[in-house]
Amino acid sequence: MTDVIVVGAGPAGSAAALMAARDGLDVVLLERGPFPGSKNAYGGVVYGRVLDEVLPGWWEEAPVQRWVTRRSTMLLTETQALTVDFRSTDWGQAPYNGCTTFRADFDSWLAGKAVDAGAQLVTSTVATGLIVEAGRVVGVRTDRPDGDLRAPLVIAADGVNSFLAKEAGLLPRTQAKHLTLGVKEVLSLPREVIDERFGVRGDEGVDVELLGCTRGIPGGGFLYTNRDSLSVGVVVSLEHLTAAKVRAEDLVADLKAHPAVAPWVEGAELKEYTAHLIPEGGYDHLAELSTPGMLVTGDAAGLCLAAGIWLEGVNFAIGSGLAAGRHARSVIDSGDAKPYRKALEGSFVLQDHKRLRGAPDLVLSERVQQRYPGLVADLVQGLFTVTNPAAKPGALRLLRRAAKKNGVKLRHLLADGLAGGRVFR
Amino acid sequence: MSGDASGYDGLAFDDRMATVEFRVAERAHIVVDSDVCRSCTTKACVTACPANLFAPTSDGGILFNYEQCFECGTCYQVCNGEGALTWTYPDGGHGVVFRHG
Amino acid sequence: MADRLVVVLARCTDLRAEVDPLSGAITRDPRTAAFSASDAAAIEHGLRIGSAWGARTLVVTAGGVECEGPLREVLSLGAEVRRVPTRGSYVDELATDERALAKSLVAAIGGRPDLVLCADRSADRGTGALPAFVAHELGVVQAPGLVSLELDGEDLVAERRLDYGRRERMRVPLPAVCSVEAAGIRLRRASLPASLAAATAEVPVADVPVPGPAVRVLGARAARPRPRHLPAPTGSSRERLLALTGALLSHEPPTVVGPVAAPEAADALLEFLARNGYLSEARTGWTVQ
Repeated sequence: MTDVIVVGAGPAGSAAALMAARDGLDVVLLERGPFPGSKNAYGGVVYGRVLDEVLPGWWEEAPVQRWVTRRSTMLLTETQALTVDFRSTDWGQAPYNGCTTFRADFDSWLAGKAVDAGAQLVTSTVATGLIVEAGRVVGVRTDRPDGDLRAPLVIAADGVNSFLAKEAGLLPRTQAKHLTLGVKEVLSLPREVIDERFGVRGDEGVDVELLGCTRGIPGGGFLYTNRDSLSVGVVVSLEHLTAAKVRAEDLVADLKAHPAVAPWVEGAELKEYTAHLIPEGGYDHLAELSTPGMLVTGDAAGLCLAAGIWLEGVNFAIGSGLAAGRHARSVIDSGDAKPYRKALEGSFVLQDHKRLRGAPDLVLSERVQQRYPGLVADLVQGLFTVTNPAAKPGALRLLRRAAKKNGVKLRHLLADGLAGGRVFR
Repeated sequence: MSGDASGYDGLAFDDRMATVEFRVAERAHIVVDSDVCRSCTTKACVTACPANLFAPTSDGGILFNYEQCFECGTCYQVCNGEGALTWTYPDGGHGVVFRHG
Repeated sequence: MADRLVVVLARCTDLRAEVDPLSGAITRDPRTAAFSASDAAAIEHGLRIGSAWGARTLVVTAGGVECEGPLREVLSLGAEVRRVPTRGSYVDELATDERALAKSLVAAIGGRPDLVLCADRSADRGTGALPAFVAHELGVVQAPGLVSLELDGEDLVAERRLDYGRRERMRVPLPAVCSVEAAGIRLRRASLPASLAAATAEVPVADVPVPGPAVRVLGARAARPRPRHLPAPTGSSRERLLALTGALLSHEPPTVVGPVAAPEAADALLEFLARNGYLSEARTGWTVQ
């Protein structure tokens, strides 16, 4: 008898299957791709701290490309770039901080852990719908012959498009407003060239977030180093991308042609092009986390943090999956999803979302996206441009000038500063 | 710099898509009702689809090819025509296979 | 009819081996190991004919542990499976002696099959020679490259493509070795209970000698032709420029005609054309009115 059906062998599903199987439950893990991770794409960094408790020493065996030891945030205009660059050798040694990896590798590895714990992984199988009896989810239908599978608990970890959560009425069918489209190019570049261009050695890597490179469409760009390739792409608001009638790959081409980025990617050859939706609505637009007989985890629940300086998702997926798996038994026994919700509320998963609930609106606001990169860049250019024989203009005058040129009123700047203080407090 | 293909790489879109593996299923997992599309004024899917699978036809409809689909969901999220798109996942084991996602 | 045996020899490999666009290095991903479309067609034919005969269907694959996933899928379709272990390296596989491979596959089958099916050619090497070696090894007839395969009493009726779009229909006496194209047939899908049951099943490994490479491959890499050497140009740059442009050489200066009236201009043009052989003698008397 199956106790738990986990739909989707991504980070959330595999984490849930791992914990439920360790708890002695009979777990079936369904995956629609030919192997876990084959349908998944993301920016490029996994923060694995959440795994410490359940897979001690995970960093020794996880399929890591590079450890992020250098993090840059860049503000771009067409001709300027301002970079805030931080590096720490602490992040390059155990227990590490973030790593770049490919989802085909990482998700397969994590699913392998669930299988080792006793979960039964069935790949190439789509869960096409829920079996509902008397208002309670009692199983899933799959596209295999004789494909109905019943269990007292279904854990939906079926990703951003979660048709299971939609069928159960936990997630609106369409919500372009709260989704972003991520497109990514993986560019082949020899390892030594990457080391040289980015100033790293061995398995050290770089994480670059870029703002102001998306033709005014709310969103941003990213560039991550893998072992012998770069992941370059943009993440943009679906609603605004559609309204602007711009093609996403053109934005990536823009980014790669920017004078601050072009030298990094010169001579690199395209290895793979990927696209995926990202739920970025934040705390106020999460799915309902459960319905009788079913728990929702990871992207399916909208658990993804896109709060400007923090861009995290896989760790929230794992966190919610672990909670679902850990409490599967008590949810089955009590018939109530309360233990799962309480676990999420008590952990970083919901606390971070709640604390940063205002971030998506602020980060994707018109001024932050379209005006501030230019303002800051103009201000800095003014500061460092030597104007001899004229005397230096003074910082406040430069700020006023830059604000005027970029159409920002100083009181808006002040207000946004305060709002930022509130959101990120 | 916008749209300047010669700026960095003049990669043709077909070459871009050729880097991705698609295990094409027999069944079309997305079906477009072109009759509904004819009354659509925005045709948001045409530019939004990252795989560029939606082509407007001369009679105002939409021509769609499911074979090189990323299964991302963009098209049904931006589609404003009620019932123009029937969207499901491809049969198990088929469709896109990312290796560097 | 009793105790018949249908054997499918299927190749399982990464159908989309990655070639690094910069170095040309080939990487095969064990996770994406799968049967090619024609291998899958061979398995489907095997299952179909096996169930029509009420016979066992055995699928034998030569390959590494990466083949076990796809073989389990076959297991859940009700066939028996067996794996012949091979050396893993791509370079070694490139050099595999197909006759030796056929020998070990036949040894792995064990019994005497009534029908052996395989793909018309493997997806990655594609010599298409294996069925012939297997037929030779078993001492039975062979029918390669079939697009359809139907039972007709005790025989098989098969069809294959010929040049110029013609088809050939054949009666194939059993036992036989048939290789099939991926035409109009797809491998069925296993039911969910069967998939679950097979998910952790053991894939039997045949205890037969592993075929080694027939020739020794010294190395495999992307073809990188050496640049062609062109001799350095002779003469000074001024001389080369003169030779290219034809400056300072004698040439006919342009003829200035006019300003004149239209008829005279036309005459001048016609005369020029006639002088240079563009108009025949007969037409030179023609003038503009």
